[in-house]
Amino acid sequence: MASRLARSALGAARLRPSIAPRALPALSTAIAARNSSGVPAQDPKSKAQSLIDALPGSNLLSKSAILSSFTGLSIYALSNEYYVVNEETVVAFCLLSVWAALIKFGGPAYKEWAEGQNRKILDILNSARADHTQAVKTRIEDVQQMSGVIDVTKSLFAVSKETAKLEAEAYELEQRTALAAEAKTVLDSWVRYESQVKQRQQKELAATIIAKVQKELENPKTLQQILQQSVADVEKIVSAKQ
Amino acid sequence: MNTLFNTVNFWRYNSSPLTQFEIKDLISIDTPILGNLHISITNIGFYLTMGAFFLLIINLLSTNYNKLIGNSWSISQESLYATLHSIVVNQINPKNGQIYFPFIYALFIFILINNLIGMVPYSFASTSHFVLTFALSFTIVLGATILGFQKHGLEFFSLLVPAGCPLGLLPLLVLIEFISYLARNISLGLRLAANILSGHMLLHILAGFTYNIMTSGIIFFFLGLIPLAFIIAFSGLELGIAFIQAQVFVVLTSGYIKDALDLH
Repeated sequence: MASRLARSALGAARLRPSIAPRALPALSTAIAARNSSGVPAQDPKSKAQSLIDALPGSNLLSKSAILSSFTGLSIYALSNEYYVVNEETVVAFCLLSVWAALIKFGGPAYKEWAEGQNRKILDILNSARADHTQAVKTRIEDVQQMSGVIDVTKSLFAVSKETAKLEAEAYELEQRTALAAEAKTVLDSWVRYESQVKQRQQKELAATIIAKVQKELENPKTLQQILQQSVADVEKIVSAKQ
Repeated sequence: MNTLFNTVNFWRYNSSPLTQFEIKDLISIDTPILGNLHISITNIGFYLTMGAFFLLIINLLSTNYNKLIGNSWSISQESLYATLHSIVVNQINPKNGQIYFPFIYALFIFILINNLIGMVPYSFASTSHFVLTFALSFTIVLGATILGFQKHGLEFFSLLVPAGCPLGLLPLLVLIEFISYLARNISLGLRLAANILSGHMLLHILAGFTYNIMTSGIIFFFLGLIPLAFIIAFSGLELGIAFIQAQVFVVLTSGYIKDALDLH
């Protein structure tokens, strides 16, 4: 800005003969010194191209149209006092500078931070997904180990069937044994009972006979008869001996 | 149309730094019915509506079609949420304070958006108006007082008795505490409006000086760049104040709610 103003002042001085070129010797030497300084200057062509690229529009025609219409509108607005440059313009410039700086410097920093946050969330989600996939894979592997479960189950079923059959047979035999034992017990008890009954009958018979004999012995007639019989017998024996 | 001309004339001729805060009718209807009914949209009303509109836009952008991974807008909302949540948890109560979080969040975002709208060139700073900030502060303190009475009944007056106070000093201290409690109404609103008002006034006064310097000649134009740099720095400061004042406002509001809940 400063060099442009200085150059325009210099150009005006050259155009106007009333102002001698030597009136601005300091500026001339300053510009000359700047042009011949050892600082590597940017290629003017690329500099110009970058300036043209910075303008809005897609091609050179639209760029120049936009630029000229913007300039024309600015001049029209200023000359008709649609826009008045005053102290509010200074405030607007300052505030817009702050906003522009905020957008230019704070914007990328914020974007980077926000992307970092998003990446963090994304990483958490991705790791959760990976963990879940791993868990599912582990489960599948666990289940795969049990792939021969059908044959095992079949053999187990056959064993259990055989066991059940044997158990049934054992139960049947157990029942038979129990029945035989019970029958034996009943028969034994019958035998015991019968023997007891027999014993009692014999006892009763003996008692009856004894009682009858004793009763007979109480009868003198019987006693007389027995005595006579006995005497007869003795006599018979004696006679036989003789 | 008349209003438009008035606005143009206002910018052309009015250079007082206080005129930017004038509340004017933008559109008004004067009807000869219902006792000459005057319906108007003032500039403060218009900018508050704009604020509400911006809030709606921001919230719509933040929803991001309910995607699992949010965009930059929703990340900003989330970080704001986390910041305000920590304020509420620290200032009020981690357990009972959560219920006041929506209120604190809404208050913060309302003040912040209106402060930032005031930072846009040629706009209007709604929060520099005492009518707005006092309306907020009086409502908040009154609400906190009602909350205190609802929760503690007449025991709420124990708020005015400092802990371990000697009996002789009690009437004086209660009076001082009572005045201090009433002063919250003023101080809360005054702090916000005064900060925003003074910031904008400072910018306009300095801009007036700088404009006068820069329009005095080419040399002065370059000299004027020095104060211009200062004004840019002040503008940056104003941007910081816009955030800080919104934060201070909600921190103090949380403190008042805590007082009403816990009585010291």
